[in-house]
Amino acid sequence: MKRKSLQQSISSITYVPHHLILFHPWQSPPGKPKIVRCHSPEKEMLACWWKPGSDGGLLTSYTLLYSKEGEGQTYECPDYTSAGPSSCYFNKKHINSWTTYIITVKAINEMGSSISEPHYVEAASIGKPEKKKSNKVVMLNFISFSPGQPPGKPELIKCRSPEKETFSCWWKPVSDGGLPTNYTLFYNNEGEESFYECPDYTTAGPNSCYFDKKHTSLWTIYNITIKATNEMGSNISEPHYVDVTYIVQPNPPVNLSLALNKHTDGKLYLLMNWSSPPLADVRSGWLTLEYELRLKPEEGEEWETIFVGQRTKYKVFSLIPGEKYIAQVRCKSDHGEWSKWSSESYIHLPKEFRLKDMMVWVFVAVLSSVICLIMIWMMGLKGINMVACILPPVPGPKIKGLDAHLLEAGKNEELLSALGCQGFPPTSDCEDLLVEFLEIDDSEDQQLMPNHEKGHPNKNLKSGNKETDSDSGRGSCDSPSLLLEKCKESRIPPAEFQTPDFSETQVKAAGKSSQETQNRDPELKLPDFNSDGVKSSTWPGTQLASSQIPKGSYHNIVEVCKVAFSAMNVNVSAIRMGNEEKHPSKYSKNIETICEGEMTQRRKGESFHSKAKADQALQWLLPNEKSPFLSDKPMDYVEIHKVNQNGALAVLPKQKENSDKTEIYPIPGTTKEYAKVTRVVDNNVLVLMPESRVQGMPVFQEPPKESAQSLHQSQAEKNMSYCLTAPSEFRLQTGGLEYMDPNSFMCSFK
Amino acid sequence: RRSASLSPSVSAGSACLLLWLCLLGKPPGLGGSLCTRGDSGCPPLSVADLFDRVIQHSDRLHRLSAKKYFLPSGNELAKSARRCHTSRMLTPNGKEYAQTIPREELTYVILRLLQAWKEPLSHFDQSTVHHQDLSDDSLSKAKEISNMVHELKTGVEKVTEKMQSMGIISNSLNGMGSSEAAGLSISNEANLMSNYEFIHCFRRDSNKVQSYLKILKCRIMPGNSC
Repeated sequence: MKRKSLQQSISSITYVPHHLILFHPWQSPPGKPKIVRCHSPEKEMLACWWKPGSDGGLLTSYTLLYSKEGEGQTYECPDYTSAGPSSCYFNKKHINSWTTYIITVKAINEMGSSISEPHYVEAASIGKPEKKKSNKVVMLNFISFSPGQPPGKPELIKCRSPEKETFSCWWKPVSDGGLPTNYTLFYNNEGEESFYECPDYTTAGPNSCYFDKKHTSLWTIYNITIKATNEMGSNISEPHYVDVTYIVQPNPPVNLSLALNKHTDGKLYLLMNWSSPPLADVRSGWLTLEYELRLKPEEGEEWETIFVGQRTKYKVFSLIPGEKYIAQVRCKSDHGEWSKWSSESYIHLPKEFRLKDMMVWVFVAVLSSVICLIMIWMMGLKGINMVACILPPVPGPKIKGLDAHLLEAGKNEELLSALGCQGFPPTSDCEDLLVEFLEIDDSEDQQLMPNHEKGHPNKNLKSGNKETDSDSGRGSCDSPSLLLEKCKESRIPPAEFQTPDFSETQVKAAGKSSQETQNRDPELKLPDFNSDGVKSSTWPGTQLASSQIPKGSYHNIVEVCKVAFSAMNVNVSAIRMGNEEKHPSKYSKNIETICEGEMTQRRKGESFHSKAKADQALQWLLPNEKSPFLSDKPMDYVEIHKVNQNGALAVLPKQKENSDKTEIYPIPGTTKEYAKVTRVVDNNVLVLMPESRVQGMPVFQEPPKESAQSLHQSQAEKNMSYCLTAPSEFRLQTGGLEYMDPNSFMCSFK
Repeated sequence: RRSASLSPSVSAGSACLLLWLCLLGKPPGLGGSLCTRGDSGCPPLSVADLFDRVIQHSDRLHRLSAKKYFLPSGNELAKSARRCHTSRMLTPNGKEYAQTIPREELTYVILRLLQAWKEPLSHFDQSTVHHQDLSDDSLSKAKEISNMVHELKTGVEKVTEKMQSMGIISNSLNGMGSSEAAGLSISNEANLMSNYEFIHCFRRDSNKVQSYLKILKCRIMPGNSC
């Protein structure tokens, strides 16, 4: 008692002046009251009760004061009686705002007064609980007050055992009816009748139950239920069956350490070490844990997961130097679930400086520099030729056939003759011939036209008609050789007049005997043509071409072709009269095939067959004008310039000095002499003669050389025109020697 | 079977000799040849090796019995698992118990469990009741399990013999015969179980055997994988 009063008096020191501290055993200031509870019995009503302290032996009066939080004004309890003794009853009128109210009780007696601790009441909802020890949660809803409901059905979420010796269960709190809900967990062991309550509600956290070692028995099935109770009722969950053996989920492993070590062969590897979770008893063999690692570079997105088994260390090779790696580890009991991943461990790998790599690069650099130096030096030694090689000089313009020396020398005649001009102005012979040519041309045209159209319908499609003069080039000398021949040797015509007859018979015979149907038409035509030619006494004249001969159209070429071939054929036939028919037929065949081949080539492209034949034919053509004079000319040496597929030879007479002047059509870049094939022996030996300086010759010589090359149609046409107007060739040539397109040399026979 | 009781010194000496033979006396050049029972050329195994083998075997056995296709979902089973015929056997149900009971008793428990299952498993495929509930797959598995149980029991017996011969455990094992008898009486009750109960009970018991073997091994030979 004394102590109590002493305590009380000490507690009331703050309120009592010093001089009043008197130890009266039965008189003292009042003790501190205490607000027991504030409760809302009905809607919008609040009642608070307090417990008085000691009254100090005197009459004590109590005053309840309340104020709003934040405001200074204090109000007094409106009603001390309605709720009972030591109570205060509030009306909604008095507490009407949604703030916290601070309520205090003051006890006053004669000796002094004391004030209780402030009690906070939230106008909106809960009043502050005074005790927190029990699970019971007191909920006050001051403003919105609804009638209570029995709780919903609780549900067990999961049960887990970290080490197969204890386990815990968690449940989901259920929606309550606004009333305090009480949860109880009951379990029943397998085989036992009675139910027990959860021994520990707290260790594992809220809404959980923890079973310690004593309460855990393995290999038995627990039947667990949860009961939720509130004032209005209770609800029981579904039973949940648990066998501890199968709910093991260990804690994650600990002490994950990463260390870089060097292997025996010098390679770096990462050694990972960890230890089992502390609770799991692996030593006694009770738990068997298996581990799993995962690694990734810091910037990486995907983890690399490695299953390790029961070991607690692992070596990782094949890591990227210079990277920062993150590693984690987790474990699992043999029949349980995987633990969570352990906390991350980091390691930073040093950048590897491999001497090998550097050496390789250094070596490569040195080698390349050495090579460059050597090349520069060599180039320097050889002079500027390399530069010229790489960047070919732009050639100055040159006219083909125009010999600069001749120009300088002022020998116009020679120059012009070199260009292939017949004689400028043309000689009287030529004029005569030309006149003759002119006369005949018309009639021949009429005769010739149908032939052409008959035999070669396609050529018209293909031919781009070049300009045709009043005297059409048809039938005129497409073969400049013939033309020139005519011009130069007036003796020829008679012979040639004769030869057509001869050839005609020969050819006819050949045609008849020919076995090839392909060449049927040309063969037939050839005699016709020949006959035509014969009729027109100036047939050879048709072969003559002067500078006035315009560029003929394509279809003329065939005619000329035929004429030329036929002439050649004649010549050849004359040569080889005694031979079997097959030779003439062959030759005629060749001619025709060549002519035909021209067409087909135009149409279909190249055919080596006809090309080769063309080569051969051209070869034979070369010495065309010479053929009648076989035996007259001596033999001479030739150079083989080129060999074609079928063994046709592009030959040149042996180069003689000062032969440039006599050259008519110098081949670009070369000074070659031309040879004429005087005869063919055994079908593959050409007996050559150096040709006389006849205009137009080179035209024929060059094609064999270039025969292997492909020709475009337009070029062929150009060539045609080129071939036709042999003397005017120099006009056609636009470029210098360097620009000479070899194809341009190609005769239309291609 | 009862081994002859020898004087402690002699038994210790023989045990040492055996140990020495086990650890060192592995005759070379036997790799590749099949080792049949009774063949003196077989390399003798140490107790640790024997234990490892036996544990592996029990592990395999348990995995086989725990396969999902063999078992329905957990909760349904749980209801019916009260009628395991081995439920009445006193077995340690926690780590502490398993570690504190004598080694001999633990060994005996293992053997009893295996014995208790020998008969029911051999009868499993013969019973018509079982045929109805399970697929052919399960039946073949049951046959396999039955063989494995038999092998495992033989293995455990061998280990026991070895241990006894080495003096690790005493010879007084309450007699193996009694375990057989107890097993027989129990196995009669196995016929009362349904298929699922049967399987579930077996699964649990195989887990027990596995755990006890591991505990026993680490009690006898701590270190290595313990």
